[in-house]
Amino acid sequence: MTRPLLEIDALHMRFQGIVALDDVSFSLDEGKVTALIGPNGAGKTTMFNCVTGMYRPTDGAIRFAGETITGLKAHRIARHGIARTFQNLALFSGLTVLQNLLVGAYLKGSSGLLQGMFRTGATRTEEAEAEAQAREILAYLGLDDVADAKPSQLPYGQQKRIEFGRALMQKAKLILLDEPMAGMSKTEKAAMTALIQRVRAEMGMTFLIVEHDIPVIMDVSDKIVVLDFGRKIADGDPRAVRSDPAVIAAYLGTDE
Amino acid sequence: MSDTLAPATVAAARAKTSPGKWIVRAIVLAVLIYAPFVLTSRSIFGIPLSNMQLLNLGLTQINLMLIAMLGALSLNFLTGSAGLISIGHAAFYATGAMTAAIFGTQLGWPFPLVLVCAAIAGALAGILAGLPSLRVRGLYFVLSTLAVHYVVVFLFQEYQFAFFGVVGVPFAQPSIGPIAIDSPIRWYFFLLPLVALVYFGLRNVLATREGRALMAMRDHELAATAMGADVRILRLKAFALSSAIAAVAGALYAHLLTNATSEVFGINFAIQFIAMIIIGGLGSLSGSLLGAAVWLLLPTIITGLTSFAADSTGIVRTVLVDHRPQLVQMIFGLIVIVLLIFAPGGMADLIAKLRAALFGRRHG
Repeated sequence: MTRPLLEIDALHMRFQGIVALDDVSFSLDEGKVTALIGPNGAGKTTMFNCVTGMYRPTDGAIRFAGETITGLKAHRIARHGIARTFQNLALFSGLTVLQNLLVGAYLKGSSGLLQGMFRTGATRTEEAEAEAQAREILAYLGLDDVADAKPSQLPYGQQKRIEFGRALMQKAKLILLDEPMAGMSKTEKAAMTALIQRVRAEMGMTFLIVEHDIPVIMDVSDKIVVLDFGRKIADGDPRAVRSDPAVIAAYLGTDE
Repeated sequence: MSDTLAPATVAAARAKTSPGKWIVRAIVLAVLIYAPFVLTSRSIFGIPLSNMQLLNLGLTQINLMLIAMLGALSLNFLTGSAGLISIGHAAFYATGAMTAAIFGTQLGWPFPLVLVCAAIAGALAGILAGLPSLRVRGLYFVLSTLAVHYVVVFLFQEYQFAFFGVVGVPFAQPSIGPIAIDSPIRWYFFLLPLVALVYFGLRNVLATREGRALMAMRDHELAATAMGADVRILRLKAFALSSAIAAVAGALYAHLLTNATSEVFGINFAIQFIAMIIIGGLGSLSGSLLGAAVWLLLPTIITGLTSFAADSTGIVRTVLVDHRPQLVQMIFGLIVIVLLIFAPGGMADLIAKLRAALFGRRHG
């Protein structure tokens, strides 16, 4: 058995008395799609924010590819090879679709403001490489004809794909998708599911997905972790989780 | 239009407009080179022009505009592109002027070297002014730049009175090697390439990695961080570059006027740059140029127009002649308000809209 890519070890997150995550542990296997589900307020996005360094966990450890990344700043965690999308779109509204993707290649380059100002040889090479990669990903996502549009001019489903493409540009080992299918039509959801599966098969990436659409989740994930009120209540393969009484209780409620 | 055809069509359109673009560029360049001679000789191709035909403009006015363009470009880079609002721009001008006084007036270093010193001092001052951005945001940060403004103006005042007194700091006539910059026309041909250099330089910055990251930070800071950008360092870098340019502009301004006092760099001086970039268009480099041109030239042009009323009497004379400065301010204010109502994105936006209306929808 291989070592897990990401290990969450007894993670706690408290906000002034409110316990958002309470002793949560789970792990992600490399090249697999893991889903994080649970009712509203279960702590899913909090977990994402802890893993990507937007929150500093109160207690516990996060290990990524064998290194402890607990409490590191967000841009440092990105450098370790973790990319993410956001629950509500977080595209750069003043930039074109192509430029949005190019920002995703930020860590691949090294030229600063002054090198950019004088367009040094290294900058030009770097820019050409990033643009070639961005155009390739746009074509892969079927977005090549909107490269010069502003995101706000495009339908919601396409914006979601742009954000996904921007995460792909980072060439990360792990991509966290926060509700990638929220607000999508059935066909858009099917297309997104197919896309995630294709990316995993062709690029060997590992995914952690938060999503509310349970049938889609059952379809796309290899493993499901269920949170409820900040606690992990189930963890396992989709079929086992689906029939878990604790999960059913969390979603449908129980008589106390 | 089918999806597969689109890129080919764009490429064809580009290739077709390309010669036309080059002709336009050549004409613009020719006008820019010939204009100062027209303004100096007050005639075009040997035909004398009246003051009104020249819109009441003189070459020194144009030179001041070129320097203001440097200020507007650098502030728009900071505010429009990086999203950092600053009322400290007069302070960076003052930093540049003070550095030029120390190394030029007092130590007698050559002018080009003095400008380099001003740029370095400006970058350092910019980093110091940017430090509060690591802790505070929004209005609080704007206030911290206001504080920087008062500190720098105070330092300038102390420096001025310690070495020069109430008349102000004198600046020697600049020269580059053996060539003295001793006439408006020479100033013009020194400033024009400099403005072009800064304009195209900043355009390059925004089209490459870190410049793009600055705009990303402006639009969505958290997402920019998730891309691996260290936004704190980026902010300081943006400040350093912007204020280095502003300080060079300040040194040039002091040299062009041959004298500078601390009162010159007041709060109004800082706010005029904010006005320029809003009139021109936030985040648009070409808009910065337009905004600076409007701000510096329009009052002179309006003044020229009111001179038609010089011979009138009675109330017309009272309004148009005796209260001319107030009237000019009023008309200028009205034009700016109307502009902002109909083109909230500034002049750059207005021109883009006109272009779209005239030549059909722009691609994308």
